[in-house]
Amino acid sequence: MPSPIALADVLARGDVWRGDALASLPAATIPSGYAELDAELPGGGWPRGNLTEILVDRSGVGELSLLLPALARLSAAGGWLALVAPPWLPHAPAWAAAGVAPERLVVVGAGRQVGWCVEQLLASGGFAGVLAWPEAGIDARALRRLQVAAEGRPVFACLWRPTAALRTPSPAPLRVALAGGDGDLSLRIVKRRGRPVSRPLALAVPRPLAFAGRNPRAVAGPAFSAAADRGLAAAPAA
Amino acid sequence: MPLRRPPSAVVAGGRVAVADAAALAAGVRAGQKLSTALGLQPGLAVFERDAGREQQALDSLACWAGRFTPTISRQPPATLLLEIGGCRRLFGGTEAIVAAALAGCAEQAYAVRWAVAPRPLAARWLARAGGGLAVDAAGLAAALEALPCTVPGWPAAIVDRLESFGLRRLGDLRQLPAAGLRRRLGHAPVDDLARAWGELPDPQAAFVFPESFAIDLELPARVEQAEALVFAGQRLFAALAGWLDGRQLLVRRCTLCLRHDDGPPTALALNFAEPAADEGRFRRLLREHLGRLQLRDPVEALRLQADELVARPGESGRLFAQAAAGEGAPACLERLRARLGEGAVQALGEAADHRPECATRGREAVFDLGRFLPSTAGTELALMGVGTTAFPAASGPSAACPDVVPPPSREDRAGPVAGGPASLAGAIGRHRPLWLLPVPQALAERGGSPHWHGPLRLLSRGERLESGWWDEGEGGAAGDLRRDYFIACNPQGQRAWIFRDAAGWFLHGLFA
Repeated sequence: MPSPIALADVLARGDVWRGDALASLPAATIPSGYAELDAELPGGGWPRGNLTEILVDRSGVGELSLLLPALARLSAAGGWLALVAPPWLPHAPAWAAAGVAPERLVVVGAGRQVGWCVEQLLASGGFAGVLAWPEAGIDARALRRLQVAAEGRPVFACLWRPTAALRTPSPAPLRVALAGGDGDLSLRIVKRRGRPVSRPLALAVPRPLAFAGRNPRAVAGPAFSAAADRGLAAAPAA
Repeated sequence: MPLRRPPSAVVAGGRVAVADAAALAAGVRAGQKLSTALGLQPGLAVFERDAGREQQALDSLACWAGRFTPTISRQPPATLLLEIGGCRRLFGGTEAIVAAALAGCAEQAYAVRWAVAPRPLAARWLARAGGGLAVDAAGLAAALEALPCTVPGWPAAIVDRLESFGLRRLGDLRQLPAAGLRRRLGHAPVDDLARAWGELPDPQAAFVFPESFAIDLELPARVEQAEALVFAGQRLFAALAGWLDGRQLLVRRCTLCLRHDDGPPTALALNFAEPAADEGRFRRLLREHLGRLQLRDPVEALRLQADELVARPGESGRLFAQAAAGEGAPACLERLRARLGEGAVQALGEAADHRPECATRGREAVFDLGRFLPSTAGTELALMGVGTTAFPAASGPSAACPDVVPPPSREDRAGPVAGGPASLAGAIGRHRPLWLLPVPQALAERGGSPHWHGPLRLLSRGERLESGWWDEGEGGAAGDLRRDYFIACNPQGQRAWIFRDAAGWFLHGLFA
């Protein structure tokens, strides 16, 4: 008769994986700056050496502010960051004020070669963070290439995609969907290593100003009249 | 030459000097008359021997060999001596150096015969006799004694004389008394033997790496496709890399000139983000550049010139080898720039301008050989006539929202006076959006309030930006602006930076 083995002993073995335990990633992670988010992300932060997909439809809901603490940390450590095919122009004073050194922030106008550019940037190993806005039709093969390029490199690789991409599978080990609200940013971890997350997180990302709570329509008073001559309007403005 | 199509032969004075493998197979031999050779191989491509080009090739090969040793000697017409005694350990043994040198020659499509020996003359003789062997001091005498007397290249009269004596090998010659040989053959052969055996000193004239690098390469056939130049270009860049090694320099900028039959030459400027001396990197960059190039006319010659050089900084070796992962940021950006164009890859810089359009400017990504430059934003801020004031734009008492509005006005105003330029930039930056639209987008106005995906609610008091009188009316400049900026929010929760000026409401940025 076989000797009874305690369940605890079995579970303590290194080759037994428990479904409810978060996998620990071999690559280091970067703390996201939000404790409640770090608790849910495998390894306690944004992953390095793996693709992260952020799925968001509308810009201006605080999606970049979500990453800024991590990016500022990378930049402060002397790392180079790259924005590939950003949808708008980065405004250097704002990035500098957020702690990202503009002189180490490279903007790549990739045209239709976003995939190639991102792959080169990831494989070079010289960048601490690569944020890319690929074209909507990027296919799973191209994503797979990017994941392979990122693997084993200490780079935070982040792809921005529309939420329509949720319907298609992706090789990225971490996928996060964002939605803006009146107050907090609602964040749902669609895919991660480990057990799935059921409830969305509400994160208080820093916004330019808090909710005013009053009808400020009166603010939009006639500072100008359309007919006013520009030269004449200058004097009384101050 | 790789670009030549076989069968082909080089002709000097109406006689074949060298023929390639295809021509040899057809029966063409060195020394044949040209008419005989053409009879044997009707399609033979014939090239006139050009001593000047041979010299250039030898010089370029000598430059390339600078990667192995700084002590090189050219022995025209076609011999190169490398002194490798001092750098065997660096490369991991004689075999490793020989293998690397042969691989490099094969890459440049040079056919070589080689030998390694402790004496320069002995090495030359062994190479001329067939080569392919490395002898040390112990095996040198045996190897030399076996060589035929024709190898040293003495005058025909002397060779005939030796033949009539019945002396076939150098070993036979060595056994005879030197005094008698001197009387019969003259001094030169006996001295040569003494040098080869190491009894007389044999100093070599060292090759001096030229002060500046400019090498021409004539193409044997005209090239119409830019990609086809990659191979020929590699030869030039191999020489450049060796020359840089020899002189301990790094190149920051070089120019590849493509010369055409008629018309001005095409100059291809290659800029490196950080000074480099790595042949593989040159090659990748060259490939990117040539891949984009459209040739106007066929190219008949290439010229590579190093324009900007910097001294190579010394570096200590690490105790534990650390493999660098990837090529690094500078090399990567260089390649992106080569493919996408100069303006497509830029780092950001701040400019001292209150107009949002002008506050950001692209700048070259600066790598200082691994060290990072401190931020220069503060020093570049030079304030001009600016007026940025926040003002309660209210017409009624309900407008000011003291509970929610941070005091941008005080900070912004105090910046230039008290805190200096850096703190001004920081203070303003906190109230600026991360994204800026390239061109402000006009917003519809309904019921007195602007609309962007729904009605926009204003969250802040107005911040007036009034600046730019100095470049009003200049082409491409932002000009004189007079705008009231507001932070606004639409029903989807998108925070926008909008302004109102004489022409109405505009969307200018996004607080992403």
